[in-house]
Amino acid sequence: MGTIFDASCWAIVWKYRATFVNGFLNTLLTAAAGLVLALVLGVVIGLCSTGEKKFLRILARIYVEFFQNTPVILQVCFLYYALAYSGVRVSVVTVGIISLGVYTGAYMAEVIRAGITAIPTGQFDAALSQGFDRLQTMRLIILPQTVKIILPPMVNQMANLIKNTSCLFIIGGADLIATTYNFVTGESTGGAYGPAYLVGGLLFFCMCYPLSLMASKWEAHLKQKSVQTNDDKKEVTA
Amino acid sequence: MNGLEEATDGTVSVDGHEMTKKDRAKLNREYSSMVFQQFNLYPHLSVLGNLTLAPTKLKKMPKKEAEELAMENLERVGLAHKAHVLPTTLSGGQQQRIAIARALTMKNPIIYFDEPTSALDPEMVKEVLDIMVELGKEDITMVTVTHEMGFAREVADRVVFCDGGKIIEEGTPEHFFTSPKEERTQAFLSKILR
Repeated sequence: MGTIFDASCWAIVWKYRATFVNGFLNTLLTAAAGLVLALVLGVVIGLCSTGEKKFLRILARIYVEFFQNTPVILQVCFLYYALAYSGVRVSVVTVGIISLGVYTGAYMAEVIRAGITAIPTGQFDAALSQGFDRLQTMRLIILPQTVKIILPPMVNQMANLIKNTSCLFIIGGADLIATTYNFVTGESTGGAYGPAYLVGGLLFFCMCYPLSLMASKWEAHLKQKSVQTNDDKKEVTA
Repeated sequence: MNGLEEATDGTVSVDGHEMTKKDRAKLNREYSSMVFQQFNLYPHLSVLGNLTLAPTKLKKMPKKEAEELAMENLERVGLAHKAHVLPTTLSGGQQQRIAIARALTMKNPIIYFDEPTSALDPEMVKEVLDIMVELGKEDITMVTVTHEMGFAREVADRVVFCDGGKIIEEGTPEHFFTSPKEERTQAFLSKILR
């Protein structure tokens, strides 16, 4: 009982397939909404940490260090119980979106900061000499140039965000890990460890792999573009 | 003078308005453009995009009008046929001519040139200087930092000689190149003019 070679286990997993689909959808929803929050926070905090105001730079630093140097599972618990004790009733999914978004936002901020600092100062000078203010400079000139620098690390963070939804298990979430675990330990469904974990893992893979596939495709596309650029250059000098 | 570097001493006034860190971008928008030693074109935009970005976003010029004006200026620097390529595909001299066209498209009364030919191959210096000589005949104030003494002598209305962050001597090119008063200027000229 419980091995991946046991057909009856596979039969149980198949019978309760809706449970897995449900967990998959919950994880996907939490990750997608968390990603939006993480991106917004990442851009805002990333801009603060590269800005001219010292106060905002310090604030951004504190934010990043705080959330990067404590475990996300602790942040999830803390937010959940803090809200519960203060009488605010929110769903586990909401707690998941907020805590994972805020946590991943710290990493996104660092990715974006690194991207911005990689742009030559001449670009900032040119923008200021033309009369662009700080925000316009970032939006129209600097951030578009950082895309190809930050894309690969950003995709890593997205995949991490999806996998980190597993932390919601600890507050009784309905994410893919929680549903899988509850399935294998459940009274009527228990025991099908091997098949259940395989299916759970496969579903995670189905979310993360397309992301990295997309990223490498885009990277290849950008590379090709710069190769073309170099070919044009040769023509000019020839 | 356009607030890229903070003044260590004194103030900059544009049209009677004293420049502060806060309004430097706004003053630059209305009064001055700049051409850099390293061109500093925007690599993610086409040549045309480089020229029209600021006029459309900052001066609220309609896109069509900005593009027409940009094409006119590209025509002037002889690069209209490169309007749709990325700037990184061009040679240094061509990039600098694009940068001049970008400055012109802002239609500002002042253009600053920061050593516009210093980063160029010797063969490309001429194509840039030729354009600047032409511009010198027009109603634009050009403030140029340069090591091209021949160019300065031919085009300038006023020459200012700086050393160690201080103005040593200023005057007409005639005065500066033939009868400079300061010893430092004389020493400089004797070294570069033979």
